[in-house]
Amino acid sequence: MAGVITRAAAVPRAPVRLWRFARKFGRSTPGRLTGIAAGLVLLSIVVGLVTSTGVQGKSDEVRDLATSAEPLSVAAQDIYRALQDADATASSAFLAGGIEPAATRQQYLADIAQATSALTLEAGTQTAGNPLETLSSQLPIYTGLVETARANNRQGFPVGAAYLREASGLMRSTLLPAAEQLYKAENARLTAEQDTATTFPIGEVVLLLITFGLLFAVQWHLLRTTNRLINTGLLVASVAAAVALLWTSAAMTAVTLHLDSAERDGSDQVAVLVQARFAAVQARADETLTLVVRGNGQSYQTDYLTAANRLGGRDGNEGLLGQARAMTKDPAVRSMLDNAIQAQQAWLTVHRRIRDADNAGQYGQAVQDSIGTSASSSGTLFADLDKNLVSALDSARAAFNQEASAADASLTLLRPGLIVLAVVIGVASGLGIWERLREYW
Amino acid sequence: MKAAVLVTALALALAGCGSGLAVPRDSSPSAAMPQPPGVAGSPAPTTSSAPDTSCDATASLRPSGPLPPPGQMPTNSTMDRIVQRGRLIAGVDQNTYPMGFRDPVSGQVEGFDIDMLHAVSEALFGDPNRIQFKAITSADRIPALQQGQVDIVARTFTIDCARAQQVAFSTVYFSAGQRVLVDSNSTVADIGGLAGKKVCATKGSTSLEALAEVSSHPQLVSVDNWTDCLVLMQQGQVDATSTDDTILAGLAAQDPYTKVVGPTFAAEPYGLAVPRTDTDFVRFINAVLEKIRADGTWTADYKHWLGDRLGPVPQPPTARYQD
Repeated sequence: MAGVITRAAAVPRAPVRLWRFARKFGRSTPGRLTGIAAGLVLLSIVVGLVTSTGVQGKSDEVRDLATSAEPLSVAAQDIYRALQDADATASSAFLAGGIEPAATRQQYLADIAQATSALTLEAGTQTAGNPLETLSSQLPIYTGLVETARANNRQGFPVGAAYLREASGLMRSTLLPAAEQLYKAENARLTAEQDTATTFPIGEVVLLLITFGLLFAVQWHLLRTTNRLINTGLLVASVAAAVALLWTSAAMTAVTLHLDSAERDGSDQVAVLVQARFAAVQARADETLTLVVRGNGQSYQTDYLTAANRLGGRDGNEGLLGQARAMTKDPAVRSMLDNAIQAQQAWLTVHRRIRDADNAGQYGQAVQDSIGTSASSSGTLFADLDKNLVSALDSARAAFNQEASAADASLTLLRPGLIVLAVVIGVASGLGIWERLREYW
Repeated sequence: MKAAVLVTALALALAGCGSGLAVPRDSSPSAAMPQPPGVAGSPAPTTSSAPDTSCDATASLRPSGPLPPPGQMPTNSTMDRIVQRGRLIAGVDQNTYPMGFRDPVSGQVEGFDIDMLHAVSEALFGDPNRIQFKAITSADRIPALQQGQVDIVARTFTIDCARAQQVAFSTVYFSAGQRVLVDSNSTVADIGGLAGKKVCATKGSTSLEALAEVSSHPQLVSVDNWTDCLVLMQQGQVDATSTDDTILAGLAAQDPYTKVVGPTFAAEPYGLAVPRTDTDFVRFINAVLEKIRADGTWTADYKHWLGDRLGPVPQPPTARYQD
């Protein structure tokens, strides 16, 4: 105890002396000038670090949006849609009887390939672990069941249909809900990242404003104490600070505007179009299953009507298709959507014909109208509708990417620019004050 | 020195707090076996513990004279209404080979039950193919008739007293008996060997009711269609399927690694069913059955669908009437 007190009292005298000297020096004019110069140089370093890091962060956000969040959200939607389509295609292969048509088989394989390749894209994402695990562990089981069904069908065994029902049950009860959870999580991430990226970086702008204000205050102080109107160094530093402020504000405003229009003309439309594709393939699966279960499909028919209504409303100008058409400003996309609406309306007519034929006992005719290859079969019309939706979707994604790239481009020179300007602020203000300080030598 | 030790210790402790990098780990989820849609357990226990023998259920209504010529049915009769409509709406099974099933190659519904319907259609229209098939599950048979969704049900429908109070049955067109289907390497020899084992049957079937009564008390798994039972057996989710020998023979024909074992432990007489009020149609159907029993159509159908799978081709079941 006593030893500690002794040690504290015996703290070296040198720091105390240094502190006393500094206080005395600080009260003198050259001392104050030295302090101001040191402060300004330090401030310029802080400005350089903070703003360039901030710009780098913003640029990372914009790039992440375009290269990760958006593609992953699309990949998640692709998984959902591919699985839905695989289910519908497997059912229609069953309807066809015998050895399924080569095109149907091809379609099924393409769906599975798309789902698995989109799944590998998602593999690294932290967004949703559980649905990914469900999808990657259950999808092989699903395809196994479908192939077992196929092998039994080839031998003419009705148990093949039971395997197909089990596969479809697995798809609807486990795989599709997991895929839905995945795309909802990815969509939420996209929205959140969009919100972050479009936020105006108020902190950096305020820091630049403060820098500008302090430089002005120092010049005012020098004017009063030394009576010299112009200090070249500080003037250059002020101009550099003003340029940094204006450039940052302009670039960040540009980023916000570009990302706003990326959302309006891009991702918002993508969201509606994706929902339209989901509704279309849902309606197609329900239509097919109504025929597969043969006379026992009232619930599927009700689901079909719900999905069709969500897709096009009463006359195709409502629902998701109408909404997407109202959103677009691009005439090319509008004409794609007009074609889609036309196909959907024709499909509704054919669907009524299929139901009438089936209800009147003409099952074979109903199946033909549903899965036949003629231009007026509902399968052809569905494919046509989907093709147009995909084209519109591609255009909307291209618009998104264009705007996001433009946002990124407006940040390209800003970071090195801000570093240079910060160096200018530090060096110029240091030199400016040195000029005054020299007069005391 | 002390302070330096202290600081080092503190630094190490702090570093320890921050450590634990997220290492990716294989969570190896257990592979859950999928199930056919609609799988359930035992049925709700019925109040009657013994088969309902309070009536003579297999005795039907006698035909009212010879069959009218096709297309010329008595006015206002059920048959007349069907002929006016132009087609017979039939509730069938599209999953039970060889009684009623959808041929995966042709896409047509075929089978022994279906051939009975072709005979009825022939007698009504002079055309065996004026039939609209509606696929129904075992459990749907009675509701579909009561709600008038179908004119007739031909779907391995066992006649019993409880059902005869809700729908009207024709005479017996097929005498089946309940047995057990197991994997070919199974040591189970009959229904008694299934104690504690999982046994599959369809919902709403008499087979399920009979299984609930057997003394070995197997665990019951109920499904919508008989082929779902074969799926569950092939996936190792149940040990056996128990139902009518006809259906089991059809399942065994689709999987050579199964066998039908044990004696018949419940009789399953099949009848064609119509709504309870359509007694004229019951008499008409019985006349059709009389005809196909007599002219060899029945025997030809049996040979075509069942051959000698259940032993030598039997005589058609004898018709029994209430009067």
